[in-house]
Amino acid sequence: MTLNQALITVLAGTVGTCGFSLLFRINKKHVAFATIGGFITCVVYVICCRYIDDVFFQNFIPALVATAYSEVMARVTKSPATPYIICSIIALVPGGKLYYTMYYFVSGSYPEFRVTVLETLKIAAGIAVGIIIISVIIHQINYSKFKQIYDVD
Amino acid sequence: MTENNKQDTEAILSLAMDLGKSMIKCGAEIDRVEETIIRICHAFGMKKTEVFSIVSMINVTTVDPDGHAYTQSRRVYSYSTNLGRLERLNSLSRSICCQAVSFDEAREILDTIIGEKNGFHTTACIGAVLAAGGFAVFFGGTIKDCLAAMPIAVMIYLMNTYIKARGMSKLFYTALCSIVSGFLAIFFVRIGFGDNPAMIMIGDIMLIIPGVTLINSIREMLCGDLMSGILRLLESLILSITIACGFSIPILICAAV
Repeated sequence: MTLNQALITVLAGTVGTCGFSLLFRINKKHVAFATIGGFITCVVYVICCRYIDDVFFQNFIPALVATAYSEVMARVTKSPATPYIICSIIALVPGGKLYYTMYYFVSGSYPEFRVTVLETLKIAAGIAVGIIIISVIIHQINYSKFKQIYDVD
Repeated sequence: MTENNKQDTEAILSLAMDLGKSMIKCGAEIDRVEETIIRICHAFGMKKTEVFSIVSMINVTTVDPDGHAYTQSRRVYSYSTNLGRLERLNSLSRSICCQAVSFDEAREILDTIIGEKNGFHTTACIGAVLAAGGFAVFFGGTIKDCLAAMPIAVMIYLMNTYIKARGMSKLFYTALCSIVSGFLAIFFVRIGFGDNPAMIMIGDIMLIIPGVTLINSIREMLCGDLMSGILRLLESLILSITIACGFSIPILICAAV
């Protein structure tokens, strides 16, 4: 990937993220922060694609960074982290892979089909692990406090 | 126990559950919904509250200070993603919990939020256009692909607002949406408006793909809500297969013609 292509990818990803934040109708005050989240994710993603071959880590590291950014911004703007996480991570959702999986299946190229299915699952796993590490740990801490206060069995 | 007291408890439970139901309809995670309902019931003085919720159903039993138990349930038929409304519902529940609003005020605010129409919104439509165009280029398309993905995005958004709102099932709507956008993408390339049908379709797939559902399902399963996590995971898998089948029909037909 040349520098020019990388810049175009980042720009397109940022515009796409901005579009999704408008489509999901998040609070207008937070659109800018969500778009910045998408921008950071795209930059990290492009860098990872350049230096790492494994699709798992290509998606795991950006997802991790996006979640960390979202949790920080949620505390800065005093709002839930979910809108930020969803908008920042949307660029990693393997829409392209889904298309190629379908395309290879339809055109009867079964070896490529098998590879893309596995890659799609790997990407999904990468994103999932990236979100877990930060978001779920924070949730577990908050939830155990909540349980103690409200006496939930 | 007076009759008046009983009505109060029922009204409080109704408020908490209506809030929870509209949160699910905006795409909230189940643990957030359950937590909100418990917090609200406690804020109005209930002694103990038990909640069971999955994506299509909420069931709550609450015990008032006199020891009487009340149960209500809500059925949720469909949900979409509206993060702005979710945020407002969240801040409403926060102000209820810190006693910043009275019961009547809270009911009034909630009714205004629920009463808002989910109709056409210009900014959301622009968002769909930007998202489709942006991701067509992100996955390797040209400027022409980006421009071709945009009118299809408008169509998807219009279908989403006007057809899905009429109670059509999500699966059927997704299939219809995929087939029509696939035909349009190939048509645009045939008349020279767009270079690569694959990139145009990928841009538009990003709008229909259940990404939010998938992210939520993983989060829910890891947070301990296996039930709704599995339901959402299945839903996103089935929807993905539907999208793939939907887009493959135009490809197969147009390859033959």
